[in-house]
Amino acid sequence: MRVVIVGNGVAGIEAALALRAREPGATITIVSEESDHFFSRTALMWIHSGQLRHEETEPYERDLYARERFERVRARAVGLDPEAHTVRLAGGLAPLPYDRLLVACGSRPRPTPWPGAELRGVGHFVTHQDLAWLEREVWGGPSRGGSPPRPDAHLAATDERSPYRPRPDGHAARGGPPRHPVVIGGGLVGIEAVEVLLAAKLTPRFLVREEWFWPLALDRAEADWITGRLRAHGVLVHLGEHVEALEGEGTLARVRTDRASYDADVCVVAIGVVPNTDWIGDALARDAGGGVLVGPGLETSAEDVFAAGDCASVRWFHGARMPEPLWYTARAQGRVAGRRLAGDRADYARGVFYNSSKLADVEHTTVGLVSMNVEGERNWRFEERGAVRSTLRVVLAGERVVGMNALGRRWDHAVWIRWIEERRSLAYVLSHLAEASFDTELVPPLVVPRDAREAPPEGPAPSVIDAPLPAPEA
Amino acid sequence: MDLQGQDGLLTTWREGWRARGVAGWLVAALLTGFYVDLYFTDHLEPAARALGLPSKWMLYGAIYSVAMVGGAIYYLRAHGNGRYHRVRVGVNVAVQIALAFLLPLVMPWFGGEEFYFSYLWPLDWYKLHPATLASLPVHLALYSLLGSLIAAPLLAWRFGKRWYCSWVCGCGGLANTFGDPWRHLTSKRAAAWRFERVAVHTVMVLAILSTALLALDHVVGERHETLRLVVASAEPWSIKRLYGLVVGAVLAGVVGVGVYPLFGPRVWCRNFCPMAAVLGLAQKLGRFRIRVKPDMCISCGNCSTYCEMGIDVRAYAQRNESFTRAACVGCGMCAHVCPRGVLRLENAPPDERVRLPLAR
Ligand SMILES: Cc1cc2nc3c(=O)[nH]c(=O)nc-3n(C[C@H](O)[C@H](O)[C@H](O)COP(=O)(O)OP(=O)(O)OC[C@H]3O[C@@H](n4cnc5c(N)ncnc54)[C@H](O)[C@@H]3O)c2cc1C
Ligand code: SF4
Repeated sequence: MRVVIVGNGVAGIEAALALRAREPGATITIVSEESDHFFSRTALMWIHSGQLRHEETEPYERDLYARERFERVRARAVGLDPEAHTVRLAGGLAPLPYDRLLVACGSRPRPTPWPGAELRGVGHFVTHQDLAWLEREVWGGPSRGGSPPRPDAHLAATDERSPYRPRPDGHAARGGPPRHPVVIGGGLVGIEAVEVLLAAKLTPRFLVREEWFWPLALDRAEADWITGRLRAHGVLVHLGEHVEALEGEGTLARVRTDRASYDADVCVVAIGVVPNTDWIGDALARDAGGGVLVGPGLETSAEDVFAAGDCASVRWFHGARMPEPLWYTARAQGRVAGRRLAGDRADYARGVFYNSSKLADVEHTTVGLVSMNVEGERNWRFEERGAVRSTLRVVLAGERVVGMNALGRRWDHAVWIRWIEERRSLAYVLSHLAEASFDTELVPPLVVPRDAREAPPEGPAPSVIDAPLPAPEA
Repeated sequence: MDLQGQDGLLTTWREGWRARGVAGWLVAALLTGFYVDLYFTDHLEPAARALGLPSKWMLYGAIYSVAMVGGAIYYLRAHGNGRYHRVRVGVNVAVQIALAFLLPLVMPWFGGEEFYFSYLWPLDWYKLHPATLASLPVHLALYSLLGSLIAAPLLAWRFGKRWYCSWVCGCGGLANTFGDPWRHLTSKRAAAWRFERVAVHTVMVLAILSTALLALDHVVGERHETLRLVVASAEPWSIKRLYGLVVGAVLAGVVGVGVYPLFGPRVWCRNFCPMAAVLGLAQKLGRFRIRVKPDMCISCGNCSTYCEMGIDVRAYAQRNESFTRAACVGCGMCAHVCPRGVLRLENAPPDERVRLPLAR
């Protein structure tokens, strides 16, 4: 059996491993444009600062491909012919035939919607090539972590639509690191770019369109804590400010917003990601955002073709179909896809949503329905300012706990998920908090005084985002 | 911030002296030179006398303590927001200064023995030699025997070997403080792990065997000349002399500390320390574990990179596997640098222990 996997990311590799475990004899070919080796995309920021080297961000030793007999093609897939069962490649390479195909091509940065996207000094922070660009802008060359092996090997077989093309930088023309770095976009990647610039001892300007940082996950008070910490580090945080243009003569000189115009020599545009699927065209059914529509078994509209990871539009717990651009979901989908490629039955079942992150040194955990404007929603809030500073928000629908959002402490999301599934009350949860605590040893436990345990009165939900739940698709 | 989690991004690999740059090699050469000088010459004796210290070993103890204090300051500046680190390093430095330097220094002034409470057999291989035991007052001999054979493994079974290797031990203490700038240099490769298992258990067996032979010699050596010659004589090739030279001086000192800036600070502890091997076995059977939150790991590699014992923590974390590795000294750094709070060191309740085959 010949299996082709487009994508050397977590979804593609997990699928390949799961398939190999079931089909020792299958021919498995992994097509990847970006890199020779599977690496953790989530770790780009640490390579930039010097906390990690490239090799350390690779979850398996480099002999993985030889050990598991995965063939690799370092080229861009530019088309798909489901009838003929072939994948077309750039660079004049022969089309790859497959018996079964997995599309795991991830996301690409959301394109810059303002004039000036092409200026030297403007870039993103999503791919290895983006990282190399920002390393050159800041350090004048690769960080001490070096470069990944054969960083340019795909350039012989790519096209101009690829997000993996190297970007020119302005370090030499400037004669040094940026003096006026700007980051646009108040999400996770945006704040990581800010931290990366801080670690290089630069003071970035941080332009956020929303009224507070990351309203998808935080309420105003929570966000204020994070932006307060960024400001304490010298970051120039602008909230509720809309970018209108990136300006300059060939090289970025200014960023103009609806309020002012700022000097700028490097600008990281981090306004989200979109499915990296334009090369697929009409070969597979896709949603409005470009995600490849998949069924419960990750099957696509074409026979023998599956999709997993950031590029797959899956059905969420609330019924809507859209991609889940997360590491652990890509991994879980990859494992299901691997079993599908082997011909086994397996379904991708999405449970209660959860995630964790770190925002300007503050640990963040979220579980369940948070910032979703659930009907009849009430938010119980607690703020701790003793030896530990932390916040805990429990979301209630009626008497039932449906979500939690926490900053500053570590929590075991698995216990919260169980509570949500068991339809526990606020009183129950607050008297069992210790079970869900995941703080390191010797950290004093969170104690919520009895008089702070009352649920807030029923009433209109303290609106966190105005956007209603995405409507489920037919 | 807030008592756990790494503050800010580290710039480790951008600092040449920490990244096997020229300065790193230079430091390694200096350290190695110092240990060769210390073990194989008497150059330091006059300096010790001039400072009013009884021997070069006391001078070494003073230098050692200063290095540990300096290293502890470095460590706490880098990771000191972590409460676990603050307490652990504080205790470790205090033990070194009180039990491994001041007490041995002052005890003779009061007519007592020079005795190192914080070093136990088989790390302090001489502690259970019959000749040593015989020369000690009964309570100290009992301390050596019970501490080494019963208390140390029992505590490791209950709390993990960390109680010794990163809260008490001087070798571990130096590694964790003075050696901290190089902790990321310990190899994480599977091949390094294979070497570790063979090497450390070999030394353990040698330590036990040689101690047993010395005991045998103590009982019957008078009547068996060859045994005495091979085991306990002053010949340079006798077991007693060879073990002292190879394990005590070359592996623990010259190699163990000399290569800090090249292969990380735990080369000795990981590959050669017989005490670490014994306590590691107790740990494997015991309650200590690293708990992994299910499906939260983003495979970033920070935990593995900053593990000074070369454990590929990520390999377990991304498989959602709570685990106990014999090598783990419980320094707490993986849990500290993990950006997603996936890891937790803990002494699990008895029914929740991870049971893994000893060989893993
Ligand atoms: C800076 C950053 C930080 C992040 N942090 C987190 C986090 O903390 N937590 C979290 O849950 N998620 C995080 N994410 C998201 C997470 O990284 C992604 O969800 C995950 O990597 C998706 O994996 P994937 O396998 O679907 O795709 P990708 O990792 O994007 O892999 C795509 C693969 O497809 C290949 N490819 C694409 N198109 C083609 C083509 N046409 N031809 C050939 N090959 C092609 C590429 O070479 C690549 O190998 C972060 C993302 C970024 C950018
Ligand atoms: S356990 Fe934490 S530090 Fe280790 S790889 Fe996973 S997310 Fe990174």
